[in-house]
Amino acid sequence: MTSIDNPSSELQALLDAAVDAVITIDSSGRIQVFNHTAERLFGYASLEVLGQNVNILMTDKDRQQHDAYLERYQRTGVPHIIGIGRRVAARRKDGTVFQAFLSVARVANANPPRYVGFVQDLTLRLQALREVLRERDRANRYLEAVQTILVALDRRGRVTLINRRGCEILGCDESALFDSDWFETVVPPEERASAVAQWEAFLSQQTHRSDNVEYHVRGVGGATRLIAWRYVMVEDTGGGVSGILCSGDDVTDSRRAEAEARDARERMMHVSRLATMGEMATGISHELNQPLAAITIYAQTAKRLLAAASPQIDDVGEALEQIANQALRAGEIIRHLRRLVRKHAAHREPTRVNDLIEELGTLTRADARANDVRVTLALAADLPLISLDAIQIQQVVLNLVSNAVQAFENSAIKDREILISTNLSEDGGVEIKVQDTGPGVSAEMLPRLFLPFATSKRDGTGLGLAISRGIMQAHKGRLEYSANNPSGACFIVSLPIG
Amino acid sequence: VAVKELVPTVIVIDDDDAVRDSLRMLLKSVEFPVNVYASAKEFLSRYVLDQPGCLIVDVRMPGMNGLELQQHLNMLGAMIPVIFITGHGDIAMAVEAMQSGAFDFLPKPFRDQDLLDRVQRALTKDADNRRDIKLHDMIRAHFELLTPREREVLQLIVSGKPNKVMAANLGVSQRTVEIHRARVMEKMQAGSLAQLVRMSLELQDQIKHT
Repeated sequence: MTSIDNPSSELQALLDAAVDAVITIDSSGRIQVFNHTAERLFGYASLEVLGQNVNILMTDKDRQQHDAYLERYQRTGVPHIIGIGRRVAARRKDGTVFQAFLSVARVANANPPRYVGFVQDLTLRLQALREVLRERDRANRYLEAVQTILVALDRRGRVTLINRRGCEILGCDESALFDSDWFETVVPPEERASAVAQWEAFLSQQTHRSDNVEYHVRGVGGATRLIAWRYVMVEDTGGGVSGILCSGDDVTDSRRAEAEARDARERMMHVSRLATMGEMATGISHELNQPLAAITIYAQTAKRLLAAASPQIDDVGEALEQIANQALRAGEIIRHLRRLVRKHAAHREPTRVNDLIEELGTLTRADARANDVRVTLALAADLPLISLDAIQIQQVVLNLVSNAVQAFENSAIKDREILISTNLSEDGGVEIKVQDTGPGVSAEMLPRLFLPFATSKRDGTGLGLAISRGIMQAHKGRLEYSANNPSGACFIVSLPIG
Repeated sequence: VAVKELVPTVIVIDDDDAVRDSLRMLLKSVEFPVNVYASAKEFLSRYVLDQPGCLIVDVRMPGMNGLELQQHLNMLGAMIPVIFITGHGDIAMAVEAMQSGAFDFLPKPFRDQDLLDRVQRALTKDADNRRDIKLHDMIRAHFELLTPREREVLQLIVSGKPNKVMAANLGVSQRTVEIHRARVMEKMQAGSLAQLVRMSLELQDQIKHT
């Protein structure tokens, strides 16, 4: 580097080592010092520019005005750049332009005045900034475009960020939500306490960095929306939790659809169960008639016995006891019937499969007896408990038995037997088999056996087996058919353990 | 040979323990001798045709049902009256039962008096049947004693032919006809011509095939 005034070699070294370009000018704008960085930055050798007007380093507007700037400052003493600094466009020797930050100082006590300019190349910094901004814009666009609600909360539950989707669902804008208490502002009062409790529990534990919760928010027009939230802890550089990012999906509609589908399924099962019961009605009413007949006869007998000259009190007592027993028996049949006829919401609990089968006994026997069919139970001991929906599994078995009984109708088969057995299955679950000595499933029917509306019965709905198979699939189990040996049908209901 | 006299008995066949037991108790309370069976097969394995009485049978039973039992009894030639008890809405079955020779039927539940009246009528019917059969057997036994010639005479008597015509038909004297006639009346133990005609009606099939 060179300077007109030939400063001391220390100063020279200092100027050359400077990271910024250092340029000094005199009161008329002529370059006096042009350091190494300046040479590199502007592409001029210092000898080329010393004594030249500094405006050769400037772009058009500044180049034309610079002399006037200098003159104005020296006349008025009002600084526009000195001590302030600003971003400027600078021009290299080859005419290319770059962005730079210029700060200017007036050299103390110099008369006529001299000025020192520091020029910092902003090209890289601006490029980096542009990239950061581009990334930020992109992130913002993602944030705004997603159908997921994104909310960042600080530890106190105050909103630090919310995306457009969040604003749309809540029906208010970002500025209204910013720094407000999230739970206070958006969660309906009845759910607020539990939502806050979950929030605090999440913050106070250290084992999970994320958690899933669900609560409603007050949405547009006061309607609440059910949101499935995922909380993720955002750590600061020190490893502490600086905030929580909450991403939420509006599951109101899908939950409603699921609930509606479930309702529809339950309604269908119910209707199918009623249809099965309808097919069994003769047997059931007959079965109910038995205890009623017995009660009538016992009561009339008791009356007769009491009217005798020397009543046999023991016999009367026995008749009365039998009346009580038979009334209980009738009650039991009705109880089982009610349980199956009632509409019911699916729910599973660990159950002894044998108990289910035995409980069905009255109904299956009733139906069978009406068709002169004998029902035998062969229940294996020591079976594991299976988590199942009792009514649904009973529905499956009842449907199979009812089908088996109907298979005997209009058939000349003399040996009419149905065997219901339970066994431990190979995978450790429980298998229920319903076997009969009827005509079996025809080859023509076989491929359509489990299809809805496929029926071989004159007034069958064709839904029984289809729904039964659906029930078994929901239990992660199976319903299968195989021919019985030597004749008849065999249906296998497999319930897996766990 | 001393034949042990069998007591007319009401036999209940029902697979329902309670119904069966209540019927047993009811019938016992009015001092009818009662036997109960849980199935038609069990009953048939013990039944002898000579047992007088009546049956009370549930139409619907696993194994052999009431109708099948009725048909089986018909096949055996058993004439014991059967009262069917039926469930609600078993009208079709009841009709079928009556057609195949059932004595009566009662839908469940029923009034005790209705059942007891039917039982009483069934027992009377059975007794009548058995008396008729006995009578028939006696007439037949008497008929067996007649010679072929006397059987010919019997046929001519009941067809109302005078002795003179009979003598001509048979190619014998009127005196001989009179002797045959007296022997027929004696062997058949008929007190009058009218009685002999009634007996011959009982025997109609027998005579034709002779």
